[in-house]
Amino acid sequence: MTMIAAPGPAMRRPAPPERWLRGYGRMAAWDIASLRLYLPVLSCVLILQGAGFVYGMGLLFADMPQSAAVFVSTGAPVMNLITVGLIFEPQLVAQQRMQGSYEFLQALPVPRSAAALAWYTVALATALPPVVLTLLAGLARYHLHLAITPMVIPAVLLTCLTGVLMGLAVAHGVTQPMAANLISVTLIFVMTGFSPVNFPAGQLPGWLASVNQWLPFGSMATITRSALVPGFADGVPRAYAVVAAWAAASALVVAWAQGRRG
Amino acid sequence: MGTTGPVTGNRDDGWTFRARAVTKVYANGVRANDGISLHVAPGEVYGLLGPNGAGKTTLVKQVIGLLKPTSGQISLGGHDLLADPAAARQLCSYLPQAQVPIDSFRAREAIVLCGRVRGGKRAEVEKRADELIEALDLGEWRGKRGIGLSGGVKRLVGFAMVTVCPGRLVILDEPTNDVDPLRRRMLWQQVRELGDRGIAVLLVTHNVLEAEKAVDRVAIIDNGRLLAEGTPSAMKAADRGHLRLQLMIAPGRDAPQAPPFARRARLAGRTLMAVLDEPDAPDGIKWAQEAVASGVAEEYALGATSLEDAYIELTGHASGHEDAGRR
Ligand SMILES: Nc1ncnc2c1ncn2[C@@H]1O[C@H](COP(=O)(O)OP(=O)(O)O)[C@@H](O)[C@H]1O
Ligand SMILES: [Mg+2]
Repeated sequence: MTMIAAPGPAMRRPAPPERWLRGYGRMAAWDIASLRLYLPVLSCVLILQGAGFVYGMGLLFADMPQSAAVFVSTGAPVMNLITVGLIFEPQLVAQQRMQGSYEFLQALPVPRSAAALAWYTVALATALPPVVLTLLAGLARYHLHLAITPMVIPAVLLTCLTGVLMGLAVAHGVTQPMAANLISVTLIFVMTGFSPVNFPAGQLPGWLASVNQWLPFGSMATITRSALVPGFADGVPRAYAVVAAWAAASALVVAWAQGRRG
Repeated sequence: MGTTGPVTGNRDDGWTFRARAVTKVYANGVRANDGISLHVAPGEVYGLLGPNGAGKTTLVKQVIGLLKPTSGQISLGGHDLLADPAAARQLCSYLPQAQVPIDSFRAREAIVLCGRVRGGKRAEVEKRADELIEALDLGEWRGKRGIGLSGGVKRLVGFAMVTVCPGRLVILDEPTNDVDPLRRRMLWQQVRELGDRGIAVLLVTHNVLEAEKAVDRVAIIDNGRLLAEGTPSAMKAADRGHLRLQLMIAPGRDAPQAPPFARRARLAGRTLMAVLDEPDAPDGIKWAQEAVASGVAEEYALGATSLEDAYIELTGHASGHEDAGRR
């Protein structure tokens, strides 16, 4: 570039860490304020999804086998964790694109990673109460006792983060609002019906089980379940690797999509 | 916080905005900007005038990093905004042509939050927000949620949001859309004050008559090209000593031939605009009265020439009329 003139003396951009932290905090405040009418509703929808699923499955069995009860009760909270990121952000961004406000938000002077992490924080806070309630509903319904280990913290944080990053990847990567909505809904169907989240992978046809070895949803359930019922799930290290790889890949897509300028 | 915090006082020529030979060809082949070069000094309000589809929004989106030019350079002071879009977002504040997303915010809250996101300190931002609410006469809506606000009020809130804590360059894409005439004047006043505080303002509009009063310099853009640039009075200089006769054609009637003594005339939508020498004014009035009497025209107006005449001459469009830039 050509230096046209020396930068003026008033040029005092704060140091990057300070700027990042400030951007994170203020973007989180922005998200909470702009979504305050929707976040409580979203929490309720997630409770309905989780607790409803837990009770609904119970209606299929006169006497649910213990292992099935464990699968359902520990799978339903995972569905909550995935859904909040995967559904909400793409719908929100699709709406912003249609209203034309997307570009206003993209032009705000907040580091992209700070804005993404702010949204993750808000999504996590929205999902946690439903996750706990869904889990309690399962325990009450099936008289289960869990042995919760500290590994529940990284498992829940990573599962929610990966869902949020996948949602952001769809939201920012797919510029057609309708297409973005369809993709996120399709992913939710895959999670609910075609991934071993609420049932063992062995129940799936062989080929689908192998596909799910590389999809994130079954692995998300595995890492969370292993932290709630020690010894119940196997292949845990591999599952962590698969989920983390999806998080990393999604983050790359988000970075690419937000850096892309038409 | 000097960059996104309020900029005060002395003009600092180190912060001149420059676009050089900016060309943007969209993927579909539309050449929306074609070698546009311009600069805006700190403290200067620079109007970008042109009909719809001229390429104004395309140009400003490239400044803020939402679009990438096919070729050309864009800089602010010593910062290359194309190479560093994060710096562009920090140094510039941008009011897009579309509405701002404030449905669930209360008006004052939206302004304060935006100032905070832009890096302002709470007390300063709140004080400035109250000043802007006062200056734009938004008091009755300060506590109302965005979802219940009319388009014009939302527009003003959006203006306050992006200027409560302005950057070195403020970009306003059609800020007066939907705003009532009284508050438009207040808004222009605030735009003027931004300039007086040493901020460079890039103002996009197709309302030439209003912009004339608010801007220091204007550029007229059409079909992606910068057709003319200068102070409003320099642009009007060619028409000194002339008058403008406007004849509003009646619906369903064909426009009459311009009077033979007109220096020039153009049909812009349903309005025939003729430029006359001052001594020809009585003949012009007589000619227009006859057109009205015969039912060809509904009414006429005779007035001083304005920037709009230069604009029409260059673009063939009238501004601020129902037909503004229809294409
Ligand atoms: N995303 C896009 N893809 C293709 N063409 C576009 C796009 N955006 C705008 N255009 C075209 O570029 C031209 C300039 O548009 P724009 O910059 O919006 O004009 P203005 O803001 O002056 O009304 C128009 O012909 C418009 O149709
Ligand atoms: Mg435009």
